[in-house]
Amino acid sequence: MKKESKIILNIKVDVKSALPIYEQIKRAIKIAILSGKFKDGDKLTSIREMAIKLKINPNTIIKIYTQLENEGYVYSRAGLGYFIKRNKENLDKDKYEIFKQETFDYISKASEFGYSYNDILKIVKKYFKGV
Amino acid sequence: MIEIKNLSFKFGKLKIFNDFNLEIPKGEVVLITGINGVGKTTLLRLIAGVLKPLKGEIKFSDEISSDPRRYIGFISDKLSLYESLTVSQAIDFHKSIYGISNFDDFLIKFTKIKKSQKLKQLSIGQRAIFHLSLILSTNPKILLIDEIIHSIDVYLRNIFIKELIKLISEKMVTLVLVNLNFYDIENILNRVILLKNGEIAVNEKIGTLKTKVKKLISTNSPKSLPVISQIDYLDHSEYFIYPYKENYRKQFDGEVIDLNLTEIVSAFIGGEYA
Repeated sequence: MKKESKIILNIKVDVKSALPIYEQIKRAIKIAILSGKFKDGDKLTSIREMAIKLKINPNTIIKIYTQLENEGYVYSRAGLGYFIKRNKENLDKDKYEIFKQETFDYISKASEFGYSYNDILKIVKKYFKGV
Repeated sequence: MIEIKNLSFKFGKLKIFNDFNLEIPKGEVVLITGINGVGKTTLLRLIAGVLKPLKGEIKFSDEISSDPRRYIGFISDKLSLYESLTVSQAIDFHKSIYGISNFDDFLIKFTKIKKSQKLKQLSIGQRAIFHLSLILSTNPKILLIDEIIHSIDVYLRNIFIKELIKLISEKMVTLVLVNLNFYDIENILNRVILLKNGEIAVNEKIGTLKTKVKKLISTNSPKSLPVISQIDYLDHSEYFIYPYKENYRKQFDGEVIDLNLTEIVSAFIGGEYA
């Protein structure tokens, strides 16, 4: 028997968010793949387990996994489940897409607080100095 | 599938349903909600066969139509179980009625229920879990749950919900929940049905419902839009719109806000008391 993946995905679902639940979960899984938390061929948490853990309808999880499969992030093996596919060509492009999206989200939040381009720049510089 | 056709029902002279129609597809998880007294529990009891319709009929898919009650599980806090029996006596009795040879008591093990305890000594949560484990042993195709989920403490509720998710994912069980509270169950639902004056006011898939109900915040009343309810503040009001269309954004001066299920149902129910 193939060893189950020991990677624990800690996904928090925010019901108040305007982003649909399935988009939230899909994004969290993508980030875990893109950030290298999952390795090529790792088994993704089973549909049932993911549904129970997140208290989500299993059909929603099926929809997420199917979309991830169509987008080339995972592949399925009948009866065994879903496995991570780290496709080098897609990885860089998608990583950049998510980075861009997260950056936009952050900037729009900062703007809502009234912070300017220079305020944001200051914080970014401070972070990199700290590192 | 559950198919309710031309259903009428009265309590004495009080008309609850008149020519009521509803279809619930197989494997869906449906929430039935509405103000107190609208007939949510009555509808569940009619589906369960505990109450008989005055007119009309309730039909089920072929696989269970020969003996629907055998395949329908009904959990409610008002339901009396075999009160004076002990847990183990109740299990034996249940096994003999349904002709079950193996009773899996894995659920009971989580609950501190002792098999020597009488059923009337169990807490609401323990009863709910015990009742669920009895029902699971009969392989139900339809499970009806009246309120109860939110009378259970958070530990037992998690166990309860986990079993529901297993039923949906493995057995394609149709789940009909009557609830006023959505915390913890919102994301397992496929569909929401809101009853109003014995009729269906809303019957939508969750995703669709969220795109169709929005909150507008403004200082001006959006007269031309379908407002279901509103909340007034000193200097502005919140207007709940259903059905909402994207082009309303242009017709309206104010902010459009997405809502979660609790807020959506509150908006409808608020409208009924206005």
